[in-house]
Amino acid sequence: MNSPAFAFTPRARDTQAGRRWRPSTRPIATTGAYLGLACALLAVGLPTWWIIVGALKTTNEIYLVPSTWTPRDPQWRNFLAAWHAAPFFAMFVNSLAVTVAGTVAKLANAIFCAYAFAFIPIPGRNVAFFFVLGALMIPEEVTILPNYLTVAALGYVNTVPGLVLPTIGSAFATFFLRQAFLSLPREVIDAAKVDGAGHLATLWHVVLPLARPVLATLVLLTAVARWNDFLWPLVATSRATTRTLPVGVYFLYSQEGTAQWGVVLAGTIIVIVPILALFLVVQRHLVEGIASGAVKG
Amino acid sequence: MTRHTRRGAISLSAAITAGAALAACGGEATGGSGAPAASSAPVKIVYWGAFGGNLGKTQEEVVKQFNDVQKNVVVEHQFQGSYADAANKLTAAMQAKQAPELVVLSDVWWYKFYLNKALQPLDDLIKSEKVDAKDYVDSLFNEYVQGGKSYALPFARSTPLFYYNKDIWKKAGLPDRAPKTWDEFTKDFVPKLKSVIDSKQFVFAHPSSASYIAWVFQGVIWQFGGAFSDKDFKIQIGEPKGVQAGEFYRSSIKDGWAQASKDVDADFRGGVTVALIGSTGGLVGHEQAADGKFGVGTGFLPEGPAGFGCPTGGAGVSMVAGLSKEKQSAAFQFLNFSTNPRTQAFWSQQTGYMPVRKSTIDSKEMLDFLKLKPNFKTALDQLPRTKFQDSARVFIPNGDEIIGKGLERITVQQEAPSVVWKDITEILTKEAEPVLKLRKALGG
Amino acid sequence: MTSARDARQAIVPELDARHRHLAAFVLFVAPNFLALALFSYWPLVRNVYLSFTYWDMIAPSPVWIGASNWIDVFTSKPFWRISGNTLTFTVVSVGVTMALALAAALLLNQKLLGRDLVRAVLFAPAILPGSAVALVWTFLLAPNYGFVSQLAAPLGLPSIRWLTDPAWAMPAVLLVVIWRRVGYDAVIFIAGLQGISKELYEAARVDGANAWQRFRHVTLPGLAPVSFFLLVTAILASFQSFDVIRVMTSGGPVIATTTLIYQVYQEAFVAFNAGRAAVYATILFLLMLSLTAIQVRLVERRVTYE
Repeated sequence: MNSPAFAFTPRARDTQAGRRWRPSTRPIATTGAYLGLACALLAVGLPTWWIIVGALKTTNEIYLVPSTWTPRDPQWRNFLAAWHAAPFFAMFVNSLAVTVAGTVAKLANAIFCAYAFAFIPIPGRNVAFFFVLGALMIPEEVTILPNYLTVAALGYVNTVPGLVLPTIGSAFATFFLRQAFLSLPREVIDAAKVDGAGHLATLWHVVLPLARPVLATLVLLTAVARWNDFLWPLVATSRATTRTLPVGVYFLYSQEGTAQWGVVLAGTIIVIVPILALFLVVQRHLVEGIASGAVKG
Repeated sequence: MTRHTRRGAISLSAAITAGAALAACGGEATGGSGAPAASSAPVKIVYWGAFGGNLGKTQEEVVKQFNDVQKNVVVEHQFQGSYADAANKLTAAMQAKQAPELVVLSDVWWYKFYLNKALQPLDDLIKSEKVDAKDYVDSLFNEYVQGGKSYALPFARSTPLFYYNKDIWKKAGLPDRAPKTWDEFTKDFVPKLKSVIDSKQFVFAHPSSASYIAWVFQGVIWQFGGAFSDKDFKIQIGEPKGVQAGEFYRSSIKDGWAQASKDVDADFRGGVTVALIGSTGGLVGHEQAADGKFGVGTGFLPEGPAGFGCPTGGAGVSMVAGLSKEKQSAAFQFLNFSTNPRTQAFWSQQTGYMPVRKSTIDSKEMLDFLKLKPNFKTALDQLPRTKFQDSARVFIPNGDEIIGKGLERITVQQEAPSVVWKDITEILTKEAEPVLKLRKALGG
Repeated sequence: MTSARDARQAIVPELDARHRHLAAFVLFVAPNFLALALFSYWPLVRNVYLSFTYWDMIAPSPVWIGASNWIDVFTSKPFWRISGNTLTFTVVSVGVTMALALAAALLLNQKLLGRDLVRAVLFAPAILPGSAVALVWTFLLAPNYGFVSQLAAPLGLPSIRWLTDPAWAMPAVLLVVIWRRVGYDAVIFIAGLQGISKELYEAARVDGANAWQRFRHVTLPGLAPVSFFLLVTAILASFQSFDVIRVMTSGGPVIATTTLIYQVYQEAFVAFNAGRAAVYATILFLLMLSLTAIQVRLVERRVTYE
């Protein structure tokens, strides 16, 4: 079957080029591929354009049919109105505090716990690990009511500790990190032990540097999840100034409603833009981290 | 009354100007004997509001006026979302022991908190602050009286009105008035209106359950001779008249003159629908949004086979139980201010809600205003003919939503009213049990 | 004698080391275990207790009412509708997202000009707050003046009332959930594609396999582990999607878009019926339990393969 007659590619270069991928020289396939790319771009780009334009329209222009694709008279004041309609700065600070505190606490928990399960040999360790595995099966949504009662009893409703506390237990990240730790070269860690390094020193100087790529991915994933969290902040706050951005923007909508779409959209853009900017910076790392995490997972 | 009516134009320079003028001469309207000494630090009172859009701006203006005219009490207004959101947040906040001192509670919410003894009876305060309780419109004041005690003061009170687009009415050759009966509307008005609107427009729109379709339907079921329930929670919605009213709603969609809408107000303002039944509290919002585009007409609700029927609605302000005397007195000063004749004149003119004070209604200022703005008069004229709502909607927790979801099934899902009301009767009966138990425990 | 002493000397440091290990272990795991116990396990127990009570959350304490919440839920029509909604939502969102993501991945895995840009653009919605995305789509899906209606109008398509028509509300919510997740899944598929040995393709080419055959016999099997990972994480994520539903439809019209997780919120924080919320939460947990158990087992199997 290895007959070269079946090598239906007429291009000798292909075989010479070996495994390197190169632009196809088949015009139809290439056109199709670029058409696909264009479709994908449009599927995100057109709605985005519509939103930006919408944020710059007057209410009357928004309701105009057929719609205009560029604002007749850009209403930059929509952004000003949105900024004044909700305490965006306070909400931004809340989101930042919740994200930073939540990510640090959760990952600290995960790192210590994963280290213990990977490197501290005590009997019954594997049985104890089921406590972590079990928690994997308890999503935030199931615990929402009892956790509200707990946080309320602690007097932490409408506070950053209240927003953070129920989220700091770590099951997935612990599981994920333990796997990563176990795959680290054993000799390096043993060498550290022989040198008399304690657990903290080994963790700090040996394990963490080696696990840096995995950690970076986990930091990003955890931070994104914390930043975007909606259900718990919705439940655990009742004041505009203690809300986080994802909840705050929803309240802007329920306050201004469809009669003020331009302002609501402007507010949404205010919320989205900083995240998008950050995303552009870490985009490559995030995407690759997630990808490699999934493949190795 | 409704979530959707609380939305409106963001710029409200007119309101602010009027507010400032009122604040300037509003000094004597507050005062009161129980105020703490001026030398001590002001008492802070948290007040949870449920008004957004132009109503929210006006609400904030009322708070600002209060904070400007006296120095003993500082009120902090916190917007909580819709009426339901505010009530839900209050429940959650009571768990967290973070309840505000004052809260806006709508017709369907205050009773639940009363049953759980979470609201402060106001009678002693009314007496000690020498508030003229007789000056409140009797029906509105008495709705909050249970066992001889008041558990809220009426603040943003409304009735449903029939709104219509005058320009389209004219184009269709209709007289400049609301239909007198549903029969006239469906047989005469609708065909004429349909001939002048395009395929994307509708004559009428039903709100969602979250925007209180059950409130509008309260009037309709009465117009058909039915009721949600009697006073003692015997559910009657599934009786033949109730089914007939349900059939009427179902046919409104089937016959193509009404649509179910996510935002009936936005549809009306945007010209997608040309008529709706909505709260008086939406009047100013409608007029501002329609300004320059079309004329807004108002009228009484149309009559049904059993004649006229129209409920009261809207919200009062309640005080949370368990406050210190000092806080009670401070909070009551704001309650008093919000419902005093001057503030009510301002609030009413800026929103469309009905004044809750007789002296406001009879004041020369209001009479002059009504001459200028005939639409405002409609609600006031209709008020004497309104009735307090059926227990099933206002006293059963979530009764409003349960009935509303049933109406959604009938309208958007076109289910048979007899079937839907049977389900709803079952649910309402079940949900009424704990209410009856609590009521018994309170000796009611 | 001496030998016994030697033995003791040898054992003592060993015991010490074991204690030290134990102490370190306990210290290291304690914070996480505490947090998990208090905010993951204790709520489960509390849910089970609450599910046998009636409590409107204003009254001072719950009242024991036996199994009647459970009976109510299982005999109510909404429960079955909600379960059906959850199933539809999960199957369609996971299935369509993965199919589209695979197509996008195959496209983006080719050496095309601008593919990194497209990849980033497709991925971006995944990192935005669900509430903001849902808000924006509420605007895009508005009847008549909305983006989708405006696109459909020149084609002579009717203007759909996406969010108020019970037949269209679920598709609308699904559209948004899918739109938001395709890029994320695509990125993982791309990684999977790049993990497939190029020799396999060469060999298949040499064997005379056409494009479809190569896809069928090399690409798909090569993607199996990644697909599995995606399948499981996407199912769990779809169970939890709350923000989009809350913002776009609040579970309506009627209960057309109410899923199990939405119902937990609805009963707990809108209806304030703690007992019934606890029933739904417990049901949700049991479902998660079975799904995650499968996941862990399969992941472990894969780990042992490696």
